Amino acid sequence: MATPAPTDTLDLAARFPGAVTPDTRPGYTGWVVTPEKLLEFAQFVRDELGYDYLVNLCAVDYLPEDRMEVVYNVFKTTGGPGLTFKTWAPRKDPIEIPSVVSIWPGADFQEREAWDLYGVRFTGHPDLRRILMWEGFEGHPMRKDWQEPFYDEDVKPFKRRWPDGKHVYAEKRSVYGDNVYFKPGFDPEKWTPTDPEEALYKSLKKYKTETSDGIETDHIIVNMGPQHPSTHGVFRAVVVLDGETVVSLKPVMGYLHRNHEKIGERNTWLQNMPYTDRLDYFNSMTNNWGYALAVEKLMGIPVAERAEYIRVIMAELSRIQNHLILIGMLLNDLGAYFTPALYAFEERELILDVFEAVSGSRMMCNYFRFGGVVRDIDEDSMKKIRDLVFDRLPRKIEEFDHLLTENEIIVSRLKGVAPLSAEEAIAYSMAGPMLRASGVPYDIRRADPYGIYDRFDFDVAVRYNGDMYDRYLIRLDEMHQSIRILQQAVKGIPEGPISSQKPSYTTKVPPGESYGRVEGPKGELGFYIVSTGKPNPWRYHVRTPSFVNLTALEKMCVGTKIADFVAILGAVDIVLGELDR
Amino acid sequence: MDWTLFLEWLIKSLIVVLMLLVGFAYLTLFERRVLAFMQVRIGPNRAGWQGVLQPVADAIKLIFKEELTPGQVFQPLFTLAPIITVIPAVVVAAVIPWGPDVELFGRTIKLAVADLNLGTLYVAAVASIAVYGIVLAGWSSNNKYAMLGGLRSSAQVISYELSLALCFVLVTLMAGSMHAGEIVEAQRGLWFIVLQPVGGIVFLIATLAEVNRAPFDMPEAEQELTAGYHSEYSGMKFALFFMAEYIKMIAISAIAATFYFGGYREPWFLAGTWLSVDVNWWLGPIYMLIKVTALLFFMVWIRATLPRMRYDRLMAFGWKVLLPLMLVLVFVTAVGILAEAWWLIPVLSLAAGAVAVFLVNQALTKKWQRR
Repeated sequence: MATPAPTDTLDLAARFPGAVTPDTRPGYTGWVVTPEKLLEFAQFVRDELGYDYLVNLCAVDYLPEDRMEVVYNVFKTTGGPGLTFKTWAPRKDPIEIPSVVSIWPGADFQEREAWDLYGVRFTGHPDLRRILMWEGFEGHPMRKDWQEPFYDEDVKPFKRRWPDGKHVYAEKRSVYGDNVYFKPGFDPEKWTPTDPEEALYKSLKKYKTETSDGIETDHIIVNMGPQHPSTHGVFRAVVVLDGETVVSLKPVMGYLHRNHEKIGERNTWLQNMPYTDRLDYFNSMTNNWGYALAVEKLMGIPVAERAEYIRVIMAELSRIQNHLILIGMLLNDLGAYFTPALYAFEERELILDVFEAVSGSRMMCNYFRFGGVVRDIDEDSMKKIRDLVFDRLPRKIEEFDHLLTENEIIVSRLKGVAPLSAEEAIAYSMAGPMLRASGVPYDIRRADPYGIYDRFDFDVAVRYNGDMYDRYLIRLDEMHQSIRILQQAVKGIPEGPISSQKPSYTTKVPPGESYGRVEGPKGELGFYIVSTGKPNPWRYHVRTPSFVNLTALEKMCVGTKIADFVAILGAVDIVLGELDR
Repeated sequence: MDWTLFLEWLIKSLIVVLMLLVGFAYLTLFERRVLAFMQVRIGPNRAGWQGVLQPVADAIKLIFKEELTPGQVFQPLFTLAPIITVIPAVVVAAVIPWGPDVELFGRTIKLAVADLNLGTLYVAAVASIAVYGIVLAGWSSNNKYAMLGGLRSSAQVISYELSLALCFVLVTLMAGSMHAGEIVEAQRGLWFIVLQPVGGIVFLIATLAEVNRAPFDMPEAEQELTAGYHSEYSGMKFALFFMAEYIKMIAISAIAATFYFGGYREPWFLAGTWLSVDVNWWLGPIYMLIKVTALLFFMVWIRATLPRMRYDRLMAFGWKVLLPLMLVLVFVTAVGILAEAWWLIPVLSLAAGAVAVFLVNQALTKKWQRR
């Protein structure tokens, strides 16, 4: 990677005259690039400025301005703030924007998502298919002028559903087909679907029928999923097998797709908070934090001191329980019959008890508010947390380490399997433990600190081989570091108010954009939001670690055995709630 | 040959078959409770006292469940496969003696269904038939997971059968007979697990592979192949596979107990007391039961503890480690017998085992360092 040049002394507009202009809209930052110069600019940003890590790519539909915008958030893996640049095209099909997959391969799935939901055609993308919706779906649902069946209004609360303050389900009032829009000339009675799988199977690499020793060999295509015990939900991978060896693989997702982002744009700012719980349902606390962070950034409000500590405590407890479950389930994927998983669940229950005590719910916590948290921690819960943090959890993590790390079968199943080098991990935009296991010490808590993480003394866990064994070990290391943070946070938590804002149902968010990123247990969780000053977000995009980390799945799996594929998928740590959104 | 002989055979066969079937039912309960105990949970305890009626409830559920046959299967083999799997599992237990000869009603009754001179050979032969059922189930299902499971199973069972057969050779050498009863009597003073410790351990490993138990449960491998060869089976046909697996577990535990753990004989420190089988013949089946239960517990324990091996590693382990090791063990045992120095066998056996462990360790370490 090239030595980064300091950005502030560099005037990008002068470097690319006429092609790059600063984004001068109020509340916006970064640069606007013309689509023609995009690739050249991206190359320059990566190679000469050192922004080697593409974190977020999403489209925004500015319907009133008749403009489709694609936003890129790039960062340096050496740390520090990032660079935002945009490119836009008139909102007239086909909207064509060059693909940056050749520069950042990690853009692969994110561009497919933008194509799927916004209809931005990325020219030069190797495999531009729909990713969350199915092939054959009519229209691009995230566009502002796309309306779903049973369409009510653009924003909530829907007036029609509250006649005289009483709740009525829209579905009950609507006769079937009453407000369903079909494009002209489309008759659902006569419609025969095109085979949605055709494009998928075409994209698979074909295995050559070789004749070695006069015996003809052939491949078989196996659909792992959507109903399969070890895809952790309704995830599907189409695998081409040569005997037991994986030759080619394509992940298929979207079975749990509910267009979270469209729902997010309909909701008011505060209504979105409980919806973030449902993204990664193991870590609702960190999801809350990511969203709260993005909105607070845009609002420019401080967070109450005590709430900052509470947030750290909750996020780190959440990280520990996530990693415990991950290790347990990874072992389960390796074929250990549930024992490690159930041992992990035992500890997780204790952490969930704490969550329940403070937020009222074990999994869907909905605990954070803009400027603070919703309830204070009482002394009983603090005592529980202290017991966990100073006694039980360190002991149990040691026990896991002692029982599992040296096990011969685990070592032989994990060591040297599916390695990913540091360069590849960065290129594929891997995040979180997956990135750090490959030898890149990039942790947002240190690289681009948020909250009060700069006050704590902890190390960024890093391992250097990038194989499955390191992906397992890094989780243990991270739990140790989380315990360190927790111990400091529990000791240092001050008394005081838990929110800097008055509780209210409406939130005034000034116009502008912001990108809030937190180090979730699974990797970088980013929220890109655009406000127009209305009570609802104009754009609400979630950059989820499960989704982006899967970009490298094919790269990791090809050449391994079918049994390894299951373990690799387990170590990526996907949760379908946030993968399919 | 008179009618009483037929009656004797009939009664003995009935006893063995019923023991196996009831044993199968309660083995499932045993396994679930032991697994639960090891996994910090409770396990089935609602049906009857401590869940004793659970197997009955399971059986009723499975019998009345709809039996679904997918359209794409090859019907004759699809129906035949579960039967082919279950029969050898039951039949293999015929040669196992569960007590000494008994004088009853004025006649000598041998407590084994079939008093074969070629006991070990019979076990080896029948055990290898069982794999046909699995392969045919996998193939006739016309399902990719089932196919992979069936293929894995055939390769695995054939590979591990070699080591298993050599274990029988060891036993035959040490006992000087292939007759199961004589093998047990030969262990009167000293169990073969003590005389040939490494051989016994290899036998236990190979039996785990033979009955497709964790960590060698490749053909079903839930995490990879959903359910492997029985993916397409439901209702009673599935129950037959389930039954075959557990009956095989019981049978193979009984065989292990007979060949390496002294069979129905009392432990050596009880010899000469009134707890000896020579004094009270009815203690034989009880000792057998205790030993079989202990071995079954061991199998469940392994399942609760170890992750699954990867398929290629499993094959490598069978062919590159176990088979050469077994050949060496047969050789050293023969040397010990020829030299008439019984103490030489365990010493050489342990030495060979230590060398094998050392070499495997070396090879694995080298492999990791190379990467």
